[in-house]
Amino acid sequence: MDLARRPEWKLLAIPLVGFLLLFLGFPALVNLVYSVSEVTFQTLRSPSLSGFANYAEVLADGDFWRASWFSLRFGIVTALAECLLGLGLAVFLSPLIEKRSSLMAPLMLPLMVAPAMIGLMYRLVLHEFVGPVPYYLYMWFGDSPAFLNVDNAFWTLAVVETLQWTPFAFLLFYMAYQAVPTDVRQAAAIDGAGSLQVLTTIDLPLMAPTIVIAFFVRFIDGFRVFDNVYTLTGSGAGGSTASLSIYIYQAFFKQGAIGKAVAASVLLFLASFAVLYGLNWLSSRGKE
Amino acid sequence: MLKFTKTTASIAALFAAALTLPTASQAAVTVLGWPGGSEETALRAAVETYNAKDSVAADDKVELLFFNREGFYDKLQADMAAGSDAFDINLLATYAIGRYAPYMEPVDLGPDAVKTYGEAVLKTMQYDGKQYGVPTDLSLHFMYYRKDLIGALLADDAAKAKYAEISQKFLGKALEPKDPDSWTWEDWAATALYFSKDVNPDSPVRYGTVLQLKNLLFNMMIFQSLPRSYGADWMDAAGKVTIDSEAYRTGLELYKKLYDAGASPKDSLSYEYAETNAAFGAGQAATALQWNAAAGELTDAEKSPAIAGNVGIVAPPAGPDGRADHIHGLGLGLNKNAKNKAGAVKFLQWLSTEEAALLYARSGGSPALSPDLVAKIADERPDLVKLGEFAGAYGYVMNGGTSTNALSIYELQAKEFTGYWSGQETLDQALANTKAGMEKLLK
Repeated sequence: MDLARRPEWKLLAIPLVGFLLLFLGFPALVNLVYSVSEVTFQTLRSPSLSGFANYAEVLADGDFWRASWFSLRFGIVTALAECLLGLGLAVFLSPLIEKRSSLMAPLMLPLMVAPAMIGLMYRLVLHEFVGPVPYYLYMWFGDSPAFLNVDNAFWTLAVVETLQWTPFAFLLFYMAYQAVPTDVRQAAAIDGAGSLQVLTTIDLPLMAPTIVIAFFVRFIDGFRVFDNVYTLTGSGAGGSTASLSIYIYQAFFKQGAIGKAVAASVLLFLASFAVLYGLNWLSSRGKE
Repeated sequence: MLKFTKTTASIAALFAAALTLPTASQAAVTVLGWPGGSEETALRAAVETYNAKDSVAADDKVELLFFNREGFYDKLQADMAAGSDAFDINLLATYAIGRYAPYMEPVDLGPDAVKTYGEAVLKTMQYDGKQYGVPTDLSLHFMYYRKDLIGALLADDAAKAKYAEISQKFLGKALEPKDPDSWTWEDWAATALYFSKDVNPDSPVRYGTVLQLKNLLFNMMIFQSLPRSYGADWMDAAGKVTIDSEAYRTGLELYKKLYDAGASPKDSLSYEYAETNAAFGAGQAATALQWNAAAGELTDAEKSPAIAGNVGIVAPPAGPDGRADHIHGLGLGLNKNAKNKAGAVKFLQWLSTEEAALLYARSGGSPALSPDLVAKIADERPDLVKLGEFAGAYGYVMNGGTSTNALSIYELQAKEFTGYWSGQETLDQALANTKAGMEKLLK
């Protein structure tokens, strides 16, 4: 008998299904209702239906598309940078860490800091008059760039994010690199493969699933970025550093436009679902 | 078996204690205050004194509750909209009264309140003609300047000639340096340009001023006083939005001119309160328009050694309509869902007395006291004298500044104005967007 068809399986699934319905299903339902309603903080318990006006408002809002573009660009740039750096470090430091595993601890330290704290920390580090970075730049070059002006803020934020999360990618890649069977590498070497050939034809193909997962996880994290950007630049001059999460937060709390904020979050949910479904479809096609 | 019984009894006792705890806290008066600054220190001192009084019943003792400052008003909004009764008294701000009034109750502060604060200051906590809170702290802006730098400029003829040359080039008229207390905004701008290395390489400091240009609603409050002194308002008497005015254009263009000329730090577009204090305190800026709350830090020789003894304070410069200083109050008011309303009202009435207000001021708070009261602590808190003087002479609240969506209007202005200052949109676009948004928010 198929496992999923056995009655005790249904019984065991009840708590999980109940939990999902209560903590995910109910808020999702409320969100759907709010997204097609005219609702404010005063009328949270008595929203009035307004059709798809909130969706139309979001889709016609240039700031929504600008925030979407920021999030997409930020997610891709930071995920790429973190994976490339993490991969390089994993391969480069692997022999060293094999002998001195305690080195792993300091490398993981940035992961222990809350992103909001990282944002606050860099507000200090980059401040022209009290920050160490501008201090040394003035000392050595007589000038320091405006790290957080409109032209540079995106890249400054991307570097800050990359510095914090590269250790995560490094950890995954190091474990994957360690898992590559030594005898395969040795066999390739005996056949005359150089170290670059071993890396590109043995290591990287075997690490590919981990690389894809790491990139995807980091992309999601980068795409939904909020804390460190919010504490460092807020939504930026003219909204230039507003991610999609910040856009939704501001619409909800700062503008009190609850219907609009929820409609934006539903659109984000649908887009995420479409991407996940697409990736899943591609993955299943690959297996066939 | 014995162990099982003991464990069961312990759990039962814990459960019973948990059930009785809410009852105990219901009896007290819980106050949600503004965390992490002089307001918290002063409130703690006031509460300690209040709780020590024999006349205060055990059930009316005050307990304090503090959130984090980050997103404070958003969390408060969510809590109050949800009908929270976790606090009996909550923080209130002038520009947010309209937003929170639906979840609060007007309160009678008793006969002492007028004597303690005066009618004008009590109004900062009124909405629709009703008193919603005690105005515990008043905030406005001071023009901080370096006395040593301005003194040297006023005493040097060659410097005066250079000053005239710079003002002619950037402002279109040759100006003479003046004493800061008689500055117009153009005098301030000329001084800021003169003391900027990018404009005048001989300047003894790197920048002439520190503009707070971060996309943040509080920065808009600081900026408003410039256009206001040129006659700006949010709405006219008929309720028509008047943001697209010559007064706002003048103010916005002057800020941009200074930022583009390098008269303010390069990262000013990410500057707020703390960054401004750090920049001015480092001794590399000649002036800064900043909150009065910074006076303690900027005039303290230990906290700001680079500028110790050289900081002067005046009201913001004048425009054609005279001087203007944006005021707003922080206060404490009554939650509609309070569990102990009677006890809460007693505490609010006590806070309105002379005894409490003086204690609050001596403990670091910034109440705007009536002239008779402030005279009693002038030696200990000279900044409060200036606070009262400036609030009385130049204080203003924009027409619509206490409306339900006042906070959202400041947010909107912050986004659009910083968009213009950073060169992402034209002045016409920024003002048109602001006008359209404000018309929607002030409907």
